[in-house]
Amino acid sequence: MTVLRLLLWLCVVLVLWEGALRLVPGSLLVSSPLAIAGYVSNNAALLARAALETSVNAAQGFVWGNLAAIGLGTIMIVFPRSARTLSAVCLLVFCVPLIASGPILRVLFGPGTGPQIALAALAVYYTTLLTLLVGLRAVSQTWTDLMRVYGRGPMSTLIRARARASLPYLFVGLQISAPAALLGAMIGEFTGAERGLGVLTLRAMRGLDTNATWALALIAALIAMIAYGSIGWLGQRVVAYRPVILLSAPAVSVRQRPWKYLLEIGFTTAFVLILWQVSMDALDLNRFFAKRPGDVWAFLAEAQNRNTVLSALAETLSFAVPGYLAGLALGAALAALVVLSPALNRATMPVAVALRAVPIITTAPLLVLAFGRGLVGTMVVVAVMIFFPTFVACQQGLRQTPGQVVDLFRSYDAGRWHLLRAAQIPAMLPAFFASARMAVPAALLAITTVEWLATGKGIGVLMATTASTSNYNMLWSCVVILAVVAVVVYAAVAAVEHRVLRIYANEQV
Amino acid sequence: MASVDIHCDSITKRFGGTEVVIPFSVTLAAGQTTALVGPSGCGKSTILRMIAGLDTPDSGTVALGAEPPRTVARNGALAMAFQDPSLLPWRSARANIALGAELARKPVGDVDALIDLVGLGGFADHRPGELSGGMRQRVAIARSLISEPDVLLLDEPFGAVDAMTRRRLNEDLPPLWRSRGATVVLVTHSVQQAVLLSDRVLVLSPRPARVVADIPIALTGTRDSKLVQTAEFAALSKEIFAVLEDSI
Repeated sequence: MTVLRLLLWLCVVLVLWEGALRLVPGSLLVSSPLAIAGYVSNNAALLARAALETSVNAAQGFVWGNLAAIGLGTIMIVFPRSARTLSAVCLLVFCVPLIASGPILRVLFGPGTGPQIALAALAVYYTTLLTLLVGLRAVSQTWTDLMRVYGRGPMSTLIRARARASLPYLFVGLQISAPAALLGAMIGEFTGAERGLGVLTLRAMRGLDTNATWALALIAALIAMIAYGSIGWLGQRVVAYRPVILLSAPAVSVRQRPWKYLLEIGFTTAFVLILWQVSMDALDLNRFFAKRPGDVWAFLAEAQNRNTVLSALAETLSFAVPGYLAGLALGAALAALVVLSPALNRATMPVAVALRAVPIITTAPLLVLAFGRGLVGTMVVVAVMIFFPTFVACQQGLRQTPGQVVDLFRSYDAGRWHLLRAAQIPAMLPAFFASARMAVPAALLAITTVEWLATGKGIGVLMATTASTSNYNMLWSCVVILAVVAVVVYAAVAAVEHRVLRIYANEQV
Repeated sequence: MASVDIHCDSITKRFGGTEVVIPFSVTLAAGQTTALVGPSGCGKSTILRMIAGLDTPDSGTVALGAEPPRTVARNGALAMAFQDPSLLPWRSARANIALGAELARKPVGDVDALIDLVGLGGFADHRPGELSGGMRQRVAIARSLISEPDVLLLDEPFGAVDAMTRRRLNEDLPPLWRSRGATVVLVTHSVQQAVLLSDRVLVLSPRPARVVADIPIALTGTRDSKLVQTAEFAALSKEIFAVLEDSI
């Protein structure tokens, strides 16, 4: 029944879309459904090959990334002392925009499918790890106490209680990460593959082929939705319960002394630098393209190089920051407005959740077509990339308002606006800040991708040109700088979050 | 202050396939305190929620005075204390209590006097996270009193309060709402509390709820802990226990 209704709605949308374009002919930005269908049928074989290629790479990366997540999650639970350092390193890796690791993986792996698979794995592992950890930790204190009463260790708790309890969470993680795998694979293809949807997208963008751009974006979205849907279906067959998950790293610990915090940052940084150096040496990678920390330091020590990177970075940030803020503000504001109307809330919730299935970055070429390659177009891409996850998270956050608090307001017949202002928005704040943190790497990913693909500005294009001119010192420096920016901004948002949540969520009562 | 009586006229409620309340009629006199006692899950909280206008009866009507509950609530003349304190964690105890007046659209009166009365002196600026379970519940009770409601609904209000504090609240709070002429409905598991606080006890059967006994509590003298030890009190408690046991 719902499928039938969905198809009906789809038909209505398609007819309206086609009709609107017939009324306003000559649009260069938007293709009509018939034109897109025409392109697809004329290039069916090419598109099918590309879709298959991308899907296979994404699937491989999906498997590797999720295995890594499960392994890491298990280690962090069995050896709780390792958890802080490991999660900091995972976060750092996650903060490096995929488009920045892409060129590096490209020079390391060569022209094959390695980078696509590695990027798909990188795109999925963190989301799965976060949801899995929530699940593994969702076991009540009583259970672990029970295990300890019988003298059993963390391994026993893991096998007997945590593993089963975390299954529903694992499925949510797998489901959300499926579109991310496709996104990772496509970004890998942007950075110089030979086949795949990403390659065709790049070609269509450069050739200003509107029909092709639309067709490719729709195909990518369709594949992602099929993957999302089938994992969701599988999850429902295996575990009936579906937890609500805020996709975010846990908030900064409240009881932390500053010097301890700094020590931890220093420790993590040292760990990452050593890991970088040792892994490059152990694999005996050519120093010409596999730069070590010392090379980057020496390169950035020269004022001219530093200025080039920093001015590109300044340009990038001048576009990214307004887009980031706009996306967050719009997402939170719309979620708050929608909650005022219960009917609208019910109607938009599934749509917003379904939009998680669309790798938003595939719409970037369309947005650039629509809004141009200047400030507005770039900002819109960044804002859209952040808007949807923020909207979904805030909507879920608003629902976290305890039912009895809502009853309390209702018992005085207080208005919806009053409830929103005094209870629901404060209850939404943890979700809002969680998405504000997660949006930092997302914004950098969006901006660098747009720069790489379309606008020809900023640090994204600096990486693109240095990758092709073999200026690997510059490339590695850009990646390091981007990672540092991501981590610093993330930490800044976390600091604001810490201050606000100390008041608004010091304990759920 | 207006005295408001409460009429439940053949109200029913079902959740899914379960009949929680079958035609239930009762009139509660203005200015009186009535206790609803009955086994867990018998539907007494549902009846209270229908009186508050939080749940709408499937059939039948609730009237507070001549008005439907929502109208009374809109006039700020209704307040309810829930089983769970339901405090806003980011507000201090004082601000949580003031919320009651704010929501009832009434001027915030003397919060500090009320804070002293419920024994929270010195904790006014603490947030709920810094208070014990019993203290939070006292904040919630104070919140329901600050708006000086005509109709006060208490759902297991002293559940999480320790025995000593409960005894004090049992003694200190009723005079407060009695002097204001409020009509009070109290849902409780505790027969002793029902007898101590009420003018009338309605004993309900297991689900679906039906009144199996309607016992007036005509106790003379002040309602304090000494009263509990009198033979009169013991007789009433015994009577209620007997009805409760028969009905299960």
